Amino acid sequence: MLQRGKLQLLWLSMHTALVLVSCFTDMETGPGAGLSTQPNGDKFKIEGRAIVPGVKTQDWVSTARVLVEGEEYVGFLRTDGSFAVNDIPSGSYVLEVVTPTYRFEPVRVDITSKGKMRARLVNYIKTSEVIRQPYPLQIRASGPHSYFMKRETWGWTDFLMNPMVMMMVLPLLIIVLLPKVVNTNDPEMRKEMEQSMNMLNPNPELPDVSELMTKLFSGSKGSSKAGSSSKGSRPVAKRR
Amino acid sequence: MAKLILLLLELCIIFCVVHAVFEDQVGKFDWRQQYVGKVRFSHFDTQMQSSKKVLVATESNVFAALNSRTGELFWRHVDKTGPEGNIDALLHHAQDAILVVGNGRVLRSWDVNIGGLNWEVLLDSGSFRSASLVGQQGTVKHVAVLKKAFISVHYLSNGHQKWIENLPDSETVDYQTVYSGGNGHVLVLGVVPHSHITIVVYSMEDGEIIKQVSVEAPWLSNIPASCVVVGQGILMCADSTTMSLNTLDLHQQTQMTQIPLQSLGLEADPDFHPSLMSHQPNAAQKPLSEFFLQLGPERYLLLQLNNGQIVTLRDFNPALLASFATTGEKTVAAVMSPKNKTVSKSQISLLFLDACSINLFSADTGRRLLDTTLIFTVDPNGGKPEKLHVQAFLKKDDSVGYRVMVQTEDQTLTFIQQPGRVMWTREEALSDVVTMEMVDLPLTGTQAELEGEFGKKADGLFSMVLKRLSSQLIMLQAWIAHLWKLFYDARKPRSQVKNDISIDNLSRDEFNLQKMMVMVTSSGKLFGIDSKTGAILWKHYLDNIPSNAAFKLMVQRTTAHFPHPPQCTFLLTEILYISFFFFFGGRSQVTPPALPQPILQSLMLPLMDQDYAKVLLLVDDQYKVSAFPSTKNVLQQLQETASSIFFFLVDSSQGRLSGYRLRTDLSTEQVWEVVIPTEVQKIVFVKGKRPNEHVHSQGRVMGDRSVLYKYLNPNLLAVVTESTDMHQERSFIGILLIDGVTGRIIHEAVQRKARGPVHVVHSENWVVYEYWSTKSRRKEFSVIELYEGMELYNSTVFSSLDRPHAPQVLQQSYIFPSSISTMEATLTEKGITSRHILIGLPSGGILSLPKMFLDPRRPEIITEQSREENLIPYAPELIIRTEWFINYNQSVSRVRGIYTAPSGLESTCLVVAYGLDIYQTRVYPSKQFDVLKDDYDYMLISSVLFALFFATMISKRLAEVKLLNRAWR
Repeated sequence: MLQRGKLQLLWLSMHTALVLVSCFTDMETGPGAGLSTQPNGDKFKIEGRAIVPGVKTQDWVSTARVLVEGEEYVGFLRTDGSFAVNDIPSGSYVLEVVTPTYRFEPVRVDITSKGKMRARLVNYIKTSEVIRQPYPLQIRASGPHSYFMKRETWGWTDFLMNPMVMMMVLPLLIIVLLPKVVNTNDPEMRKEMEQSMNMLNPNPELPDVSELMTKLFSGSKGSSKAGSSSKGSRPVAKRR
Repeated sequence: MAKLILLLLELCIIFCVVHAVFEDQVGKFDWRQQYVGKVRFSHFDTQMQSSKKVLVATESNVFAALNSRTGELFWRHVDKTGPEGNIDALLHHAQDAILVVGNGRVLRSWDVNIGGLNWEVLLDSGSFRSASLVGQQGTVKHVAVLKKAFISVHYLSNGHQKWIENLPDSETVDYQTVYSGGNGHVLVLGVVPHSHITIVVYSMEDGEIIKQVSVEAPWLSNIPASCVVVGQGILMCADSTTMSLNTLDLHQQTQMTQIPLQSLGLEADPDFHPSLMSHQPNAAQKPLSEFFLQLGPERYLLLQLNNGQIVTLRDFNPALLASFATTGEKTVAAVMSPKNKTVSKSQISLLFLDACSINLFSADTGRRLLDTTLIFTVDPNGGKPEKLHVQAFLKKDDSVGYRVMVQTEDQTLTFIQQPGRVMWTREEALSDVVTMEMVDLPLTGTQAELEGEFGKKADGLFSMVLKRLSSQLIMLQAWIAHLWKLFYDARKPRSQVKNDISIDNLSRDEFNLQKMMVMVTSSGKLFGIDSKTGAILWKHYLDNIPSNAAFKLMVQRTTAHFPHPPQCTFLLTEILYISFFFFFGGRSQVTPPALPQPILQSLMLPLMDQDYAKVLLLVDDQYKVSAFPSTKNVLQQLQETASSIFFFLVDSSQGRLSGYRLRTDLSTEQVWEVVIPTEVQKIVFVKGKRPNEHVHSQGRVMGDRSVLYKYLNPNLLAVVTESTDMHQERSFIGILLIDGVTGRIIHEAVQRKARGPVHVVHSENWVVYEYWSTKSRRKEFSVIELYEGMELYNSTVFSSLDRPHAPQVLQQSYIFPSSISTMEATLTEKGITSRHILIGLPSGGILSLPKMFLDPRRPEIITEQSREENLIPYAPELIIRTEWFINYNQSVSRVRGIYTAPSGLESTCLVVAYGLDIYQTRVYPSKQFDVLKDDYDYMLISSVLFALFFATMISKRLAEVKLLNRAWR
């Protein structure tokens, strides 16, 4: 497994190399600048704006923060939703706007040693893939966070749509309704039915199962009870 | 495409596996407490009479607005930790709050009402000295910031710089304060120590130097500490060497006027440095001509400067604290004085409550205002009052009313209203919890009785039956009492039913879900907190704790040994050592042993003395071992078991790990030593397994029904090292798995092009660690699992000394799309429940990641067998889903640690996350399999049962009728 992981890594690195070559023209801003900058190098400022569509900024800015690379650099949002994170040396950083209510996509920001900025989509797997984002950043909330799972609620439709219930209810309907639809008094019809019954029961000598059952349980109310209880126990089983 | 399908499949599995919070469970099992830290600056929002905001800026780099009625937070902004987020000054004007942050690096203006940033400007670098609002013609429109070499003035409205000027002779003169009297001038005061004061007057309009004066003052070295500006721009300095006050008119004079204290008929405490306090109600106006002079630790004087003459308005002796407050046109002085009160409580005990009374005095006359006394009761388990923040307001009849916020040494904020009603208290010490333990609550009397029945030896059938009946009776009685209480409470209005939680009525619940959290804070205050509600049950303040002390908390005796009180031991490394009964919060009667040498290591042994207290072994720097408690019984037990007691020491400065063995005479012997060269790498930390961890299954069943046995070595240590070379190409982190008894290196892994900070969880047969990959600039998780193989060497007992085969090691790595703050694994009673890893994220969420995702056996290609085993196919990136956040939107700032404790239910694990906030909840890693869910539909099941019952009745009747009919036919 270790070997496999390594292979995967190797593959990944090869892939990155490929991408590297393909976007070579853009590479002067690339990750090579990394964290190897001198401590006395210039410091830069990342600017942008966060937008929650349809919500007044006053209502959410007080709970929001801008985090760059975890909590390495912290910025705050102005009352109009714009922000600036100061004192960042050149390198490549992931910037995130965090609020407990709204979800913002993170953005990767590359800063060259000369202070040129570039924003792109975060891709942790192909780290050097460049899909440009506007700079100064425009980060739009993609909706509220969904923290909660929906409870399984119990409704009659759920119960009725249960395949087991369907399997029981449909034959029941047929048994009850069919005799009413089909006129049994019609002698022709009766004949036809008898024929079809004989088709179903190829051996007329063999006792009918239903008859056998009625004989077995005759006198006791067992059959009806068993039937109803098996019907009723289903919702219980479902709930667990 | 195949990947997409895989992902979908994975999502499908996740959906089946993972538990999330349901919306109706909000606040049911969890609570959060938000803190701000030790208050450094505070301002009452006085722009409106009805305003309820208290602005606080704290030493934890937090700026917040508290609700002065309830003590809750309106909003809070948490800046970066460390000096870059340090708040140097807080100025407040109208609805703007101006903060100077990071040694004068950033100037921020906050809108107090919204809690949003108005503007933020970056200032030129240079160490910060002082900041002040500058007023002109009755309005305040500017803020001046003084740095070591220059002064800059900014507009309050947008932060733009109006002008910036270099200070003259800034190499020799140490400029310390900036002052503005509202007359269009900005005065900068600097000092050349032991020589003279330099006063530079700038014009507000263009920053031109109007005047520059030097005044002889050889005794002065620190202006803010000893000088204030009083009245019409008169500098007043206290000189402790000659015991005199020195005045200087900043606009006219060039010579200080010395006024000896004796000439005022005053005498200062001999070794006390007198200090002054003045008040400038509005930056556009001159300061008051009245000021406080502190002459001793408990003596204040209210003085007035009148035409160069100092008049004593009032002498406060004794007085602990004094403060000015302004409302409208009136300025008052609040003085806190001690008041020793003896309260006798029903003849049983005499309680000495140290109370303080606070009184208001008119600032211009020194006259005491009527009906303004306010009593502040000092908590005997707290610290002394340290700061007094006064909020004055005008009542309807134009008299002055006030509320005070008292800050005590133990970082507690108490907000008091007249005549002494405590509106709220905030224990800000809890913003910095260092370590904690969760302890079971004791059994109630009835529960203990029932337990006792099973414990005793049987004495005859008849008596046992009797006992059974009697205990059954007791249970019935308790149940009826409970029902009665429920009924009684139901009749009362909801607001009156308050579950008063105190130590006396706390008892273990059915499933041991309620526990006591014993928390140790860095300020030296200990807390006992009820885990169910978050109520503080007891607190204990240990003063004179050094700020950098390391703490260790150990439960020496649990509640299981009834007549003996439970006992926690609190170890303060290298200095002293206190032992206490946690349940009452008091110190125990047991005298702690005197420790002449610093302690290197402490171990809790499973041995117990005759009082059921576990034995604590302390190893000092001479490698001598002492036991506590050290009774004869214990020493004898120690001698018997000494051969099986091993311990290890870590010296990270020399990169040395060494293992020792205990001899029967309690001396030690070195068994092994591992040296990690410090030039190349340094030991970051060493992590063993948790002693209270249970592992239920010895192995894993594979797809082909064979068993892969886990390597469950309880003595295994995970040692994490980081390279000293921080270059991104050469940096690496190393992980060593060492057997703590034999010193055998089980496994060694090196992660190249990786950097710390490393977070590690070590449990069962696996180690999960997280690091920063410098090559791909992302966080990565790696998991190591150890297996014995297809057969177990010795299945009955594990011995480090007898394990000839090296374990099989499996490892896999993953990408994690966020940085993390801390990490911990869930823990349950018997270890049957699957494990989750709880990850504290900087965004404030606590992610519960199933260990299933961190499994080195996750296959790349799905086979029949891997499907049988329920393995999730490998995907390089782990996903963060907000449904996995156990704390939903209750984000927890700066999580420093997560504590997990098992509960009485196997499915349930109690979790406490602490940092700036404290969050407590329960997690169910494998869902609640052993208890009915809290949304269990009792109505449905009972209605179904009833329906069935009636259906049988009816059908029985129908069947009878039918039979009868058939019989008639």
